[in-house]
Amino acid sequence: MTATATPPAGSLLTAHDLRKAYGPTTALDGASFSIHPGEVVAVMGPSGSGKSTLLHCLAGIVTPDSGSITYSGREMATMNDSQRSALRRSEFGFVFQFGQLVPELTCVENVALPLRLNGTSRKEAERAALTWMERLEVDGLKGKRPGEVSGGQGQRVAVARALVTNPRVLFADEPTGALDSLNGERVMELLTEAARSTNAAVVLVTHEARVAAYSDREVVVRDGKSRDMERIV
Amino acid sequence: MNVRQWSRDLALGVRFALTGGREGWVRLLLTGVGVGLGVALLLLTTAIPNALAARDAREDARTDITFSWEDVPKGDDTILVANVSTTYHGANIRGREVEPDGPHAPAPPGVSKLPAPGEMVVSPALEELLASGEGRLLRERLPERIVGTIGESGLVGPAELVFVRGGEDLESRIDTAAAVARIDGFGDREPQPSEPWDPVLLLMVLVVFVVLLMPVGVFIATAVRFGGERRDRRLAALRLIGSDSRMTRRIAAGEALAGALLGLLFGAVFFLLARQLAGSVELLEISVYPSYLSPSPLLAVLVAVAVPAAAVLVTLLALRGVVIEPLGVVRLSRPARRRLWWRLLLPVVGLAMLAPMIGQGGDDGNFNQYLVTGGVVLLLVGVTALLPWVVETVVARLGAGPVSWQLAVRRLQVSSGSAARMVNGIAVAVAGAIALQMLFAGAESQYTRDSGKDLSRAQMSVRVPEGTALDTVAEEFRATEGVDAVYALSSTYANDRPGDEAELISEVTVGDCRTLREVAALPSCQDGDVFVVNGAAYDEATPELAKAGRTLWFDAAQDSPGEPTGWTVPGTLKEAQSVDDPTGMRRGGFLFTPSALPEGAEGAVSHEVFLGIDRSVPDAPEHVRNTAAAVDPYSEPSQWASVERSERFDSIRTGLFVGAACVLFLIGASLLVSQLEQLRERRKLLSALVAFGTRRRTLSLSVLWQTAVPIALGLALSMTVGLALGAVLLKMTAVPVVVDWVSVWSMTGFGAAVVLAVTLLSLPPLLRLMRPDGLRTE
Repeated sequence: MTATATPPAGSLLTAHDLRKAYGPTTALDGASFSIHPGEVVAVMGPSGSGKSTLLHCLAGIVTPDSGSITYSGREMATMNDSQRSALRRSEFGFVFQFGQLVPELTCVENVALPLRLNGTSRKEAERAALTWMERLEVDGLKGKRPGEVSGGQGQRVAVARALVTNPRVLFADEPTGALDSLNGERVMELLTEAARSTNAAVVLVTHEARVAAYSDREVVVRDGKSRDMERIV
Repeated sequence: MNVRQWSRDLALGVRFALTGGREGWVRLLLTGVGVGLGVALLLLTTAIPNALAARDAREDARTDITFSWEDVPKGDDTILVANVSTTYHGANIRGREVEPDGPHAPAPPGVSKLPAPGEMVVSPALEELLASGEGRLLRERLPERIVGTIGESGLVGPAELVFVRGGEDLESRIDTAAAVARIDGFGDREPQPSEPWDPVLLLMVLVVFVVLLMPVGVFIATAVRFGGERRDRRLAALRLIGSDSRMTRRIAAGEALAGALLGLLFGAVFFLLARQLAGSVELLEISVYPSYLSPSPLLAVLVAVAVPAAAVLVTLLALRGVVIEPLGVVRLSRPARRRLWWRLLLPVVGLAMLAPMIGQGGDDGNFNQYLVTGGVVLLLVGVTALLPWVVETVVARLGAGPVSWQLAVRRLQVSSGSAARMVNGIAVAVAGAIALQMLFAGAESQYTRDSGKDLSRAQMSVRVPEGTALDTVAEEFRATEGVDAVYALSSTYANDRPGDEAELISEVTVGDCRTLREVAALPSCQDGDVFVVNGAAYDEATPELAKAGRTLWFDAAQDSPGEPTGWTVPGTLKEAQSVDDPTGMRRGGFLFTPSALPEGAEGAVSHEVFLGIDRSVPDAPEHVRNTAAAVDPYSEPSQWASVERSERFDSIRTGLFVGAACVLFLIGASLLVSQLEQLRERRKLLSALVAFGTRRRTLSLSVLWQTAVPIALGLALSMTVGLALGAVLLKMTAVPVVVDWVSVWSMTGFGAAVVLAVTLLSLPPLLRLMRPDGLRTE
């Protein structure tokens, strides 16, 4: 990464002038982003605009070709792969479009998985997992496997899994993309409520305006460039 | 059954398989490669009988010296042939010396022009060896000028070492050297009916074939089920647009059919490549021309029909327990518990089929081939049927542990069937191999005998035909590099009457005192002494002949027919006690020191030289063979071994090793392919797990556990079945049941090593699949 910039005051996660190409395809072309603790920011844009790539860069999953990302005052580029993995395990949470639950684990085991990866004992991890499942109204599914629950229920289990470590940033990539509107709205309500209750920042990638409505601020990505939008109430 | 409906659905499935985009093509390719490997091995197996028959036909066509032929009168269409075969660095070299009697003398197959004395024609492999540094010592033995190459029709394989050289005055050696004959044509005109197979050896061959082919069948059945999960989603979509469940299954079978058909194509290509490769490979002194390896058309057609049919059948059977609904496939829910009774029935019926034949090997009775094959197949199929039940039952009881263990165990609990399928091939191979190892170890004593040779006294011997002086022979060997002891003996016979009238014949051994002490305990000895030997078996003539004053007659030399030499038994005849000579024999007759041998008798003696070899001298045996060839081209050097084994027993064992190597390679490759296929299907999930911080080590370990647990169970089961089958086979051959634990553990270890290797090889792709790129959807 070559470009660096001073992060906005109080921001938790900041990106500046990110560029990323996959072969001949440019995914990010100078995108910038910042988010404060407890803030919910929707990243919007059409398919292929680069919003998921921006999320992956911010989460340290993908390394940008150039530009800088700062998390809590630390430059991500200075971290090696295992440090970034540790950061994702302990500070970040993730929700994907299709949940990406481990099909062979039960719902409670899925939710407890991030804690277990952090070294928490199985009993303790599952106790904490159950607490979050109750908050997300899926505690009745604890012994079921992902294949045995509905899409909306599975997505709520995925949200519980993302929040179980009390992350400081929650990354949600089209979390309602595979759900009907009713289920989608319920998932968004629970997700944002839970995040706000723990003061977690939420980076919400979506192309649906009704989902973006749950955010405090919107960033539009188009052709790899980002633009902050003022919310019109 | 509506044939049109069936073919329409199958064709639709084939089309789906071919038009599935990149993902579909990769899956089809993996299935094709998997099935192709199995098909290639099946084709190679079906080609083996033809290859062996082709080798036999070539061998028959060049037959020259046989013991059954009557004397052929000399003519312008006859030829003298001498066997001058030799050995070099453990490899046999077929050698012939030829001398035509006239212009119409036949030439050996593959030889267009007979070489003149001082010339030779050689096989391409021998030409290469002689030209290389490695063949330097052999070139000393075969110094003739190379004037041509022996063609394919004169060789049984491309790597065979053969020479044909011109000879001189062979006629004078017809009677003195056993390996010289006059013939009027090459080829076996009176082929002997082949020796009937020993029932135990036949049993071994049957079991080797079953053991080697079973894993191939199991693997093909596994390969056609690659890509099951993605296929399930596609099938659900078909249900959504109105296809009924039977139709959907037939479409799925059509997809598997496409993979199997591609596999047939790949199999043919792999087979052709392997055939070509076989032409340049020599395994345990067996090489074959690619053209020999042509599968019998009937068997090839059988493979071509059975493999696609099996693909369709296996898919239909596999989908029987799966409910394909328009909104998804209900497979991910816990499947119904597997029943044990019918799984146990298979090995029990197998044992029952073998039981009536227990003890028959000892009575020289015949084994019923169908019962043997059926029994062994059922026992081994029992492994494949029992393994899913064992895996399911055991993994259901496995407790939680670290995350990697938990991920693996849970996955095994959900899909224990596919885990068991993955290791079925290896379990069958190991079970069969353990049983065979036990059978071989147990039956080995029946086919191995102590040669009786005393390797502490000599390690080589050379027979030199009559006509050369013993002193000269001994001196030549003493001067040979790597020889540290020489015991030279001559042999001839003393008869009660001259010539053909002899009724009592006694053996005569000539040697110096030191050498004679190797064959008998002498009271005292100096040159000029003669001894009569007591204590030899089957020697009734000597006591009659060893009477002082009696005249005995020595044979005249064959090449100079003259008057037989008479000899009067002296009153000074000493007595000696026979002891084991270096070959383990007890000689009888008379022992002569060299000067005691009457004049005129030395021409009829042939010599045998026992040699102590200095093992620290490299190539000492080759130096000995060179000296032997220089002393007399028809001398017969041989290197001693403490045991001698039946050739057929050895070749079956060789067949097992060659086959087992091919099967283990196939199983390793198949495990790798199915492992990669599974990983590929979980790419997105793996990326997601890495995204939320799962260590790569955790996922790698989880993959290892997922393979190791079923493999451990599979190996435990195969040990049990293998030991049971081995015990039954030994009982059938009437050999005491002894478990050869070294081979049991080594076979099990070998199986485990294959798995470990596969896991290690699948790690790089696993790490690649764990890249976050897997999360990209656009």
